Amino acid sequence: MLERWITALRTEDAGDESPAATRERLRDLFPRNATRRMTQLGIVLGSTLQPLRPRENDTVVYASTHAETLALEGYLDSFPNPSPTLFQTSIHPSSVQQNLIQLQQPVRELLPLTGGDDLPALALQAALLAPTARTLLCGGEERGGWLLEQGHASDRTFAFTLVLSTDATDAIGRVSLEPAASDAPFRPLPLAAFFDHLHHRRPCDLLVSPGRRLVLNWST
Amino acid sequence: MSVPPPPIRVAACGALTAFGDETVTLDALLAGRTALAARPVQGRPGDDLVPLALIPARPYDETLPPGWLPALQTLAARIPGEGWGTPRRPVFVTGSNFGVGHLLAFRRHGDPAHLDLGTPYECVAHVARTLGWGPDVTVISHACVSAHLGLLQATRTLHAGLADEALVFSFDFISAFVAGGFHALKILNADFPAPYQNRPVGSIGLGDGAAFAVLTRDRGDFALAGQSLHNEMHHFTANRADGSGFAACLADLPAAAVRRVWLKGHGTGTLEAGRLETAALDQAFPDAPLVSWKGALGHTLGSCGLVELAIALAAIRRGRAPGTIGATAPGFTPAVAFDAFDLAGFDGVVCTSNAFGGAHAAFIACHA
Repeated sequence: MLERWITALRTEDAGDESPAATRERLRDLFPRNATRRMTQLGIVLGSTLQPLRPRENDTVVYASTHAETLALEGYLDSFPNPSPTLFQTSIHPSSVQQNLIQLQQPVRELLPLTGGDDLPALALQAALLAPTARTLLCGGEERGGWLLEQGHASDRTFAFTLVLSTDATDAIGRVSLEPAASDAPFRPLPLAAFFDHLHHRRPCDLLVSPGRRLVLNWST
Repeated sequence: MSVPPPPIRVAACGALTAFGDETVTLDALLAGRTALAARPVQGRPGDDLVPLALIPARPYDETLPPGWLPALQTLAARIPGEGWGTPRRPVFVTGSNFGVGHLLAFRRHGDPAHLDLGTPYECVAHVARTLGWGPDVTVISHACVSAHLGLLQATRTLHAGLADEALVFSFDFISAFVAGGFHALKILNADFPAPYQNRPVGSIGLGDGAAFAVLTRDRGDFALAGQSLHNEMHHFTANRADGSGFAACLADLPAAAVRRVWLKGHGTGTLEAGRLETAALDQAFPDAPLVSWKGALGHTLGSCGLVELAIALAAIRRGRAPGTIGATAPGFTPAVAFDAFDLAGFDGVVCTSNAFGGAHAAFIACHA
């Protein structure tokens, strides 16, 4: 069984807020004028990641199904004269890099994952396998524009950062991935649903993918 | 003090480049050939010409079904074993492009069927269905160090006893989306890449690439003796000027695991990164010969780490490593090998890759 203590959690639920409104609401959390160069996902992710002070020896695991959708749309719209800025901003895992570059904070391991309904379980497994004493599991989505109209983007903006530790001091919860029969019926837990469990601090005990049982408990 | 786990073995490893499989590619590299050819950057008449290495007969514009899929199926047919994508045989898919060119195709032509391949997870789901994999597929994307991360996660999964074997599978096929981006950044231009060559202007080429590795705890002629990562987080498209990011990654490798190594570097053809990379490698592994193959293959982006591993293992089997094709002396350091050389006396290769954000990755591959 893979398990860790949860020692800190930050979440940001921007729902269907516009990027401009998010930028205005959260700009005081960042250096002056910094949010003008950040994506909406970069801003909401940063509002959860930066206060938890990533350190060089932390492992950072990042999960996003759609990532920088608006930068991607903008880059595609810039053809036939593609924008170099939107190209680099659209590349996974831009939102983490926007924040850690802003902090000038190196990290030894950054493991950016993407995926479908099993993404939280697979990202959690990557986080629980990390050899470091402290691991930051972060992720999120931003609400899409024309890709959302086509059904290929998130319909809400949210982000989270979860601090996982081998040390129980000041723990607020515990998370584990336990082996389960691989033929047992499972219920996928997409990233937005996983976020809702974190945001509302709801416990869960679910078979989330073949052979994986995710157990999330809160102590406060 | 904890005892480090035994090195993970490479039970099988293969690649696909614009030349062909890893054996055909090795032959071409040893002969000093390049697969790069000048092509219109966005595939249209009148576009700037840039060096691209595409798999033969593959259309540059996206098609439905994808023009690259048959090549991927041919490569996947070589993967030994069955039951991939199940909990005891998980798959780790890595890359930096996946089917993103299909988003541009949708924007250009309006066919919504392209969108089903446009996002990474939808593209990988399509590939997984085509190749008959189960659902246990982890998708990792960290630009040009992606394949290294797949190898690392597969290694950890095996060390934890969560799997019996793990498949790392990587693919990147060049599209106008990515070529247009690098062209806009002004590092993909009319000049062909000359990795590690001390010249006035740097440039890269891009190439199609796909590869696989089956990792196990106890089978295979080769082992991964150490893997390391470092992310500078200094700038999106530049490294710290003192080269400390390169050095930090190399410092974490267990250099004592091997006595005499050769170096397969990242070497895209850009100048500043090339200078920093060669200096750091020279410091960490004095006198070890250094090569880059991107002057012949193009930069295969998120897949380069695995594509070049397969070629490096083929070179070790052959007993001869290709030189740095496309470049000529003077190099940034005397260690840059421009010509092929014999591998007698070497007992391992250090493979490195770098990416946006000052991401660095390295591993040592050696005989098990």
